[in-house]
Amino acid sequence: MAYSDKVIEHYNNPRNVGSFTKDTPGVGTGLVGAPECGDVMKLQIKVNLDTGVIEDAKFKTFGCGSAIASSSLATEWLKGKTVDQAAEIKNTDIVNELKLPPVKIHCSVLAEDAIKAALSDYKAKWGESAGAGQAAATATTSS
Amino acid sequence: MSQTVNYFEVFGLPRTLGIDAGQLQAKFYELSRRYHPDFQQSAPPAEQERALTLSALVNTAYRTLRDPIARIEYLVRLEEGRDTREGSAVKPAAPPELLEEIFEVQEMLEDAKASGLDDEGRNRLAAERDRLVARCRQEEELLTGALAADWDEASPAGRPRVVAAFKAALATRAYLRTVIDDLEAALDPAGETDVTHHRH
Repeated sequence: MAYSDKVIEHYNNPRNVGSFTKDTPGVGTGLVGAPECGDVMKLQIKVNLDTGVIEDAKFKTFGCGSAIASSSLATEWLKGKTVDQAAEIKNTDIVNELKLPPVKIHCSVLAEDAIKAALSDYKAKWGESAGAGQAAATATTSS
Repeated sequence: MSQTVNYFEVFGLPRTLGIDAGQLQAKFYELSRRYHPDFQQSAPPAEQERALTLSALVNTAYRTLRDPIARIEYLVRLEEGRDTREGSAVKPAAPPELLEEIFEVQEMLEDAKASGLDDEGRNRLAAERDRLVARCRQEEELLTGALAADWDEASPAGRPRVVAAFKAALATRAYLRTVIDDLEAALDPAGETDVTHHRH
């Protein structure tokens, strides 16, 4: 199967690879996996607690090229967004940007799941807004 | 035999997991002979075509049901009606601690590869692989043992619960197998895949 140029570009030059210490103020961590292929993806955001803007994002993905590209792209998109704006990122945006074929759509779903998991972890840990209670509820239903 | 029967029906079996391997094989031989293209040469073309389709179906059904794990994977697909319009492939939620563990092993593997694999590094990876292989085997024993027995004894109302347990165990096994494969590949870049070959 041929990867698109954008997938290859992200795969060869992944952006924002790495991690933050979990307990750093403003850091939210999402760790998700795809049982079909065994891929695991960790995505973290670092939010400025005064402004609510995502100042930095990092990821580490053990998986195929599309999963790496999807999470790399996701971290690029996350930076500079507010937490609420970040929640609007959809897997279909990633599919369109990377021109993922149907068999690789689940990689973009994984990236969206990772964003959501990171956001709800952030809200559970650091969000004092109304969204905090909601995020905690989501976190408990996922077990 | 219709071309749309499921694999259990191909062999005239109920949708249960306790299958006698000998009986399955005997029935497979019988059906193979019945639909074998060599025995259909004097049949009309439409009949020959049908036999060819059925012959392929019998082969696939046998390969699937013969393997106790593939049998369960197939049962789960069947129960969920996947591949059909109303199919609901609900993803099982991975246990968070498993994901953490897999992630840690992958990081360890990455570090080991980055620092060049010396003997000590290889031994650590091999020990990790052996530990995970044992875990994987446990999961398989759970699937083909206790859970399969649960399925065969479950009332129709109790079946969805067993299907959910199958899916969770199959997902765990899938994660373990991926990381085991990655460890194997690092320990033996030449691509030897025979696991027993690596045992010391």
